[in-house]
Amino acid sequence: MATDSAAAAAAAAAVSDDFAIGCFLSIQTTFGDEFEAQVVAFDAPSNILVLHILFPISTEGSKAGSRRNLRLLKADYIKHFTFLRHGEDPLDLSKCYIDLDAVRAREQSALRQAEAGAERIGVGVTSEAQSIFDALSKTLPVRWDKSIIVVLNEVRVSSPYVPESVSGGTAIANERVKKVLELERKKLQVRPTQ
Amino acid sequence: MNYQQLAHPKSAANGIGRRKSEREGGMKLDNRLHSGKSGISKTGSIGSMPDSKVGGNLSPSHDRLVYFLTRLIGHHVEVQVKNGSIYSGIYHAANVNKDMGIILKMARMIKDGSVQLHRANTESLNKAFAKTFVIPAKELVQVIAKDFSLAGDGLSNELQLEKRQEILIDSCISQARHVDSERELKPWIPDEDDPQRPELENVFDIPSDRGWDQFEVNETLFGVKSTYDEDLYTTKLERGPQMRELERVAGRIAREIEGEETQDLHLAEERGVHFHDSFNIDEETRFSSVYRGGVVDDSGYVEEEDILLDSWNTETFGSAPASIMIGSLDGTDTDATQASARSSSTDGPETSHSSVGVDLSRIGADDAGRLSSELTCKSVLASGDDNRAQERSLSEQRGHTELDDAGKLPVSETFNHSISLLKGKSGSSHKGGVLAKAAAPASSTVALTDHNKMNSRGDLLETPTLAKSGETQSVDSHGRPGSSTSSASDRLGAASAPTGARLTPSSSVGSLSSEKSNLNPHAKEFKLNPNAKSFVPSQTPVRPVSPAGDGSFYYPANMPGVHPMHNMPIGVGMGGPFAGHQPLIFNAQVPPGQSPQTYLHPNGPHYGQHMLVAHPRQLPYMPGFPPDMPYKGRDY
Repeated sequence: MATDSAAAAAAAAAVSDDFAIGCFLSIQTTFGDEFEAQVVAFDAPSNILVLHILFPISTEGSKAGSRRNLRLLKADYIKHFTFLRHGEDPLDLSKCYIDLDAVRAREQSALRQAEAGAERIGVGVTSEAQSIFDALSKTLPVRWDKSIIVVLNEVRVSSPYVPESVSGGTAIANERVKKVLELERKKLQVRPTQ
Repeated sequence: MNYQQLAHPKSAANGIGRRKSEREGGMKLDNRLHSGKSGISKTGSIGSMPDSKVGGNLSPSHDRLVYFLTRLIGHHVEVQVKNGSIYSGIYHAANVNKDMGIILKMARMIKDGSVQLHRANTESLNKAFAKTFVIPAKELVQVIAKDFSLAGDGLSNELQLEKRQEILIDSCISQARHVDSERELKPWIPDEDDPQRPELENVFDIPSDRGWDQFEVNETLFGVKSTYDEDLYTTKLERGPQMRELERVAGRIAREIEGEETQDLHLAEERGVHFHDSFNIDEETRFSSVYRGGVVDDSGYVEEEDILLDSWNTETFGSAPASIMIGSLDGTDTDATQASARSSSTDGPETSHSSVGVDLSRIGADDAGRLSSELTCKSVLASGDDNRAQERSLSEQRGHTELDDAGKLPVSETFNHSISLLKGKSGSSHKGGVLAKAAAPASSTVALTDHNKMNSRGDLLETPTLAKSGETQSVDSHGRPGSSTSSASDRLGAASAPTGARLTPSSSVGSLSSEKSNLNPHAKEFKLNPNAKSFVPSQTPVRPVSPAGDGSFYYPANMPGVHPMHNMPIGVGMGGPFAGHQPLIFNAQVPPGQSPQTYLHPNGPHYGQHMLVAHPRQLPYMPGFPPDMPYKGRDY
């Protein structure tokens, strides 16, 4: 199977020096992902490769302090890889300190933000619905009720989230939500990547 | 070094349900972290891990892995699992003992691997968040962390960055919507047929002497000649033999100035003087441009009051009821007045509101006249002393006397009131409507210019008639801006506050026709009277004093039975924005640092220091007028 052979190849590579730290490799995973990366670490027992993803076009002279993408890839899933060139260890071992408090704090803050954000994500709704929700929430208080958007706590917008599906609330609120919905939809059409 | 079991989930069995809502043991995490940390610190010596330990997982690369995993905690990651699904969440922990299993928090599936890829994306549904999500090692394919800083070592600066990000709530909120639309940025690749512009790339590399003079170019291209002459904007230095001399002198002076001791916070800040080390001075005080505190120039009041008093005494200072208000302050009563004034000035803060009122009520009509003058003086002095209590009481007194002897005291009342107005300190709330009545004409008289004075005199003649029409009515007639007497103080406060300094009796008297500068050389020092009663506005809106030269007056519409009186020099013109029935609530207790002269009532018309207008002032507008208050307009 592809994965087996890949695993074998990876294993073989692991033994050899090809997975040396700092090397630039071009990797293709079994899922079809292709990318170039720099090996930052490799853990043999778990067969995990820590890779530094570069941009498709490798940029020379990128600073070590810059932010990149980090990928922890299980070598088993490498379908194919090519050795590009050697490189230096991007990690300066003498500077590797970890501030545990900072780490914990970061986690806490991330969790807080995520929890706050979780409220805004509807469960079981399409991404289009989510976009509409996001657009509405810019100016109106909205919340999810299963898959219904509840605006101003009184107006309900159900699927398919068109002005016709707006119901409830006072006449004024209803009108307003309809109008906002219309405009937001228009905007969304213009900006499909929204 | 000991890599203990990392957060190995209790129910962990590999392969069993992925969604677990177990509580992640913080303990385990700590263990791992600690061991990780200690491990990292020893990484320096690669290969030499004498105490590496248990499980034999020690290899430098393993260390590195652990290092990265530790650094990754709290990051948003995407995890791809065997079946292709991708989960996004916050990285929490991992177990790398044998194989890497991962625990995510607040994770949800963002791509379902089991779904056929050709299905349109729009149909994918949002999945619920799992508080804790365990991904066993066998399922794990890869973990992607975006925006990861490699060389940063997770020290405090990063933490602050995070903190700052948390604090930026607004931007977070507005951007949070678009999180999903973030793309991985790719550098721009010029198309093949794009013209090459190598020179554009080096815009910032070439130093300034590029040999391109914009003025030259402009001239050649467009014939535009530059007419810039530096000397128009700066002083030309005489570079001559005395240059050094002058430089030295200038330098010395500059140093002197800069080295001066300053009490000003801002100056100190500029000069780098650590002036405020010992004070709890917050940022606002240090950097704001709002001037709070400092020198109180209240002296102007006192002096002007005194002068006014004197001048008044020389004027018609009679107590004839029909006499002009100023007339009421007749010379006949001068002595008495003065005496009473002096004595009253000694009234301490203990002069209570009520007591004075009571006294007043008992005042007989026969004494009214005298009392009025007394009161007048008192009020004057009271103002001068910045004793609000006094003033208030005086106002009250006047008010009461008005009550008792409407005909007699209107003028003095108004005068007094105007003074109070000027002072802007009276905060008493007098119940009778008389004050209002009195105040109006008073204010008008007190108001300002000579012209006004004359007019007001004439107008005041009519006041008594008004006064007789009844208390409330008189109030109206006086154009007391729709305020009950109780609001007199309010009005006073409001009115006088801004213009107090300017609308001094002195000016109206004409003895000081010229505008006074803000700095009064004879000013007495302001002494804060801590016992002074705080200003409590009554229910009626406050009208600031204004020059009433035009004789027009505004009478509050809410006053029933208002008689439009013509040529009433009531301090009308002001109009100004009233808060309708709403009492203008402001703390009339001027903080010690505030210069009353510069205090502008927030609601009153900001006439500025030169409010004394010779010509009639139109009632500008009545904003903030409650709809239920029909404005009957003014009669000129």
